[in-house]
Amino acid sequence: MDFDFSDDQAALRDAVQKWVEKGYGFERRRATVAAGGFDRAAYGELAELGLAGLYVSEDHGGLGMGPVEAMVVMEELGRGIVLEPLGQTFVTSGVIGAYAPAELQAAWLPRIASGEALVVLAQQERGARYRLDRVSATAKASGQGHTLSGHKNLVPAADQADAFVVPAQLNGKTALFLVEAKAAGVKTTGHLTQDGSRAGDLVLTDAPAQLITTDGQTALEHAVDIGIAAACAEAVGVMDKTLAITAEYLNTRKQFGVTIASFQALRHRVADMKMQLELARSMSYYASLKLNAPTGERRAALARAKVQLGQSMRFVGQQAVQLHGGIGVTDEYIVSHYFKKLTQLEMTFGDTLHHLGEVSARMQDTAGVFA
Amino acid sequence: MDLAFTPQEQAFRAEIRDWVRANLPSDIAHKVHNALRLSRDDLQRWAKILGKKGWLGHAWPKEFGGPGWNAVQKHLFEEECALAGAPRVVPFGPVMVAPVIMAFGNKAQQERFLPGIASGEVWWSQGYSEPGSGSDLASLKTRAERRGDKYIVNGQKTWTTLGQYGEWIFCLVRTSNEGKPQTGISFLLIDMKSPGVSVRPIKLLDGECEVNEVWFDNVEVPAENLIGEENQGWTYAKHLLSHERTNIADVNRAKRELERLKRIAKAEGVWDDSRLRDQIALLEVDIVALEMLVLRVLSAEKSGKQSLDIAGLLKIRGSEIQQRYTELMMLAAGPYSLPFIFEAMEAGWQGNFPGGALGNAPLAATYFNMRKTTIYGGSNEVQRNIVAQTVLG
Repeated sequence: MDFDFSDDQAALRDAVQKWVEKGYGFERRRATVAAGGFDRAAYGELAELGLAGLYVSEDHGGLGMGPVEAMVVMEELGRGIVLEPLGQTFVTSGVIGAYAPAELQAAWLPRIASGEALVVLAQQERGARYRLDRVSATAKASGQGHTLSGHKNLVPAADQADAFVVPAQLNGKTALFLVEAKAAGVKTTGHLTQDGSRAGDLVLTDAPAQLITTDGQTALEHAVDIGIAAACAEAVGVMDKTLAITAEYLNTRKQFGVTIASFQALRHRVADMKMQLELARSMSYYASLKLNAPTGERRAALARAKVQLGQSMRFVGQQAVQLHGGIGVTDEYIVSHYFKKLTQLEMTFGDTLHHLGEVSARMQDTAGVFA
Repeated sequence: MDLAFTPQEQAFRAEIRDWVRANLPSDIAHKVHNALRLSRDDLQRWAKILGKKGWLGHAWPKEFGGPGWNAVQKHLFEEECALAGAPRVVPFGPVMVAPVIMAFGNKAQQERFLPGIASGEVWWSQGYSEPGSGSDLASLKTRAERRGDKYIVNGQKTWTTLGQYGEWIFCLVRTSNEGKPQTGISFLLIDMKSPGVSVRPIKLLDGECEVNEVWFDNVEVPAENLIGEENQGWTYAKHLLSHERTNIADVNRAKRELERLKRIAKAEGVWDDSRLRDQIALLEVDIVALEMLVLRVLSAEKSGKQSLDIAGLLKIRGSEIQQRYTELMMLAAGPYSLPFIFEAMEAGWQGNFPGGALGNAPLAATYFNMRKTTIYGGSNEVQRNIVAQTVLG
């Protein structure tokens, strides 16, 4: 039992923090949102730091790191409310590395690690909400490979990505495929999401695809759990910075002749925000440290984590805006952007109610032992 | 970073578990697992069993006869005791006054008082709060006047937990009115059998007399019972508070009680009622999150590498969770938590409990009793002031 970060992990944190502070200012972000919510150059800079290859083995040109390092990186990106979806890269490189055949790994992992290829998970379908066992896209065998047909929504950076990891029905069960953006029968669209980042639809019509695994349900659940852990860590960074911004504002803003940080009603709200932040940080650690646990244990842990994180995100985001007063609801001031990021993260990879249902369904006698 | 306990820590846990299983009297465990009334004898029997093993002062350093465990070992010990159904150790002797005597008492005081605390023979009480001094403890008025080799003590303490059993009481008393209120306070050990000490139990909302008023009427206390220096008592009391640490979150007991809540929900036929079940699921998440928070603090204590400003959160969250599980137990029993039959909370009661579910008998009383947790030990509002200070300055 040890919650200390290693020196290497601390160095990794410093490197990412430096990039966020120096390379990813609010104005650059604002310009990216205005231009559609995704900046390939910024993603390239993350890749140059080696981060796109964090989960990729060294054999394939990556860093071969694990969930704790991924957590450290996502926290720092959260602090800067970075738009580019590095968490998606962790998800797709994670499942390709764990489930795909050797040739597919050799063809794609080095390109993912270098940043040359952005690969995202295209899983959301109308009607499935947050459930992973409802997939209506279909796959059929075709020559040496397969073709896919279906319609996916809310695919991160859909019209900017180079390939997609796609669940589809094959012979009555879910399998997982890789589809290239430039393949025939692939159409994408693009739009902004709440937090100013980019997503879109992916429409497949007999599009050629490479099989990652026929045990798609297992792989998809694993993919989403990697995504939950990344979202939790990112949210901790967002909340940490949100609280810092709020504390600074309370110590600066004066009303009735005194700084408003002197008012007990506001101080207690700040204490409650700190509580939610630290419970969230604790459960983000828990999520990442359980990511390599056996499937049942991992799923239960990640659902618990998302319930805590979801509640914390909602509270910290809403209270940060409230404590700022009028300036908190403007677009010009930064805190509303942190609020929107938290709102979106709560609904990413399953919201609080969904995961509470998961915890509730899985709840059993634990004999008092969780860890 | 690693969530798993080390093989050594796991072996330590197994050793503690075996010992507790073999030595905890089953009648006491039965009462704890079912929230039945514990007598003075129950509490002291377990204290003496621990004392004989040298574990009543389980947090004591080796030089004073303790086992010298680190933060994680202490946590594992507390967890195994809680899960097995051991009663909480009455903290006033081994957890509260002993560390003060070790840190600030003289050799004679250490030799005189520590053995009786370590063995569980002597029952200690705490004399801090007064009718006019709650959260604002430093405003306390109980006076100790020095006359020759004695102090003459006059005043009143209140909320003295289990003081009706007390043999000795450690008190904060006013020895000076000069300067700030904090600077005129002394730390005095008083024999409760002294002439002029009187104790009146206070009946609480659950019908029990868990706390007392204690009066001092011209009580003569030998000056040798003063700890450290006169007017330095506030400093010693603060040292004591810093020793409460992670145990105050009581996460181990919460884990045990969550299992009891599930048993009650099943027995009452509401385990599959999604509205209640989701509330239990939320509580489970709350308890896991509290445990992770506790483990972070323990890890930082063990390694000494990072300093954490989160210990103040433990009391707030732990007490809220204690209240929540007792509330949910009562709600799970629904109308069958309404009968309030005082005798039914006694082990072995043979009467007829309405509806037959005798296990529901103590649920309301426990819910009532737990209202105290967000009030004592520095109310949660005071705790929020402290937490806000760490964020806002």
